[in-house]
Amino acid sequence: MLGIIAKQLKSHPALIPLFIFIGGGAAMSITYLSRLALRNPDVSWDRKNNPEPWNNMKPDQQYKLFAVNMDYSKLKKEGPDF
Amino acid sequence: MSDTIDEKIKNYRTAPFDARFPNTNQTRNCYQNYLDFHRCNKALSAKDQDTAPCDWYQRVYKSLCPVSWVTKWDDQLEAGSFAGKI
Repeated sequence: MLGIIAKQLKSHPALIPLFIFIGGGAAMSITYLSRLALRNPDVSWDRKNNPEPWNNMKPDQQYKLFAVNMDYSKLKKEGPDF
Repeated sequence: MSDTIDEKIKNYRTAPFDARFPNTNQTRNCYQNYLDFHRCNKALSAKDQDTAPCDWYQRVYKSLCPVSWVTKWDDQLEAGSFAGKI
């Protein structure tokens, strides 16, 4: 399979940028999907030991990339402990 | 701690910003506060403490949740068919 591709690339070298761009796009989407799957606090992989991972965040932890008009340093936990 | 909670409940205007739910979709915020209210009631009454501090969660979910959801969940709780873990 790779041998066939290499032979085709040698005879049509203009195909190389195509592979680069499609490979780059696939890599980017895979990394974003895995980042979402592993880092997103809304996702719960282990329902027995970690059923609500969004509750493990600190009250002043910033999850968004750009938070406009929100001073995260002043936030505290609101509700009572139980 | 309970004094400040009573004060906070007395000065309550609306649900404050919750860093766990920073986006526009506040569904989970509503549901989490509903769960927390009932869990708080259950935990504090199991320890024979006053459940008044739990009212904070009730005020928050009453601010956030649609009334139809609240009545539906309350009916489910009474019937014993509520799906959440309390």
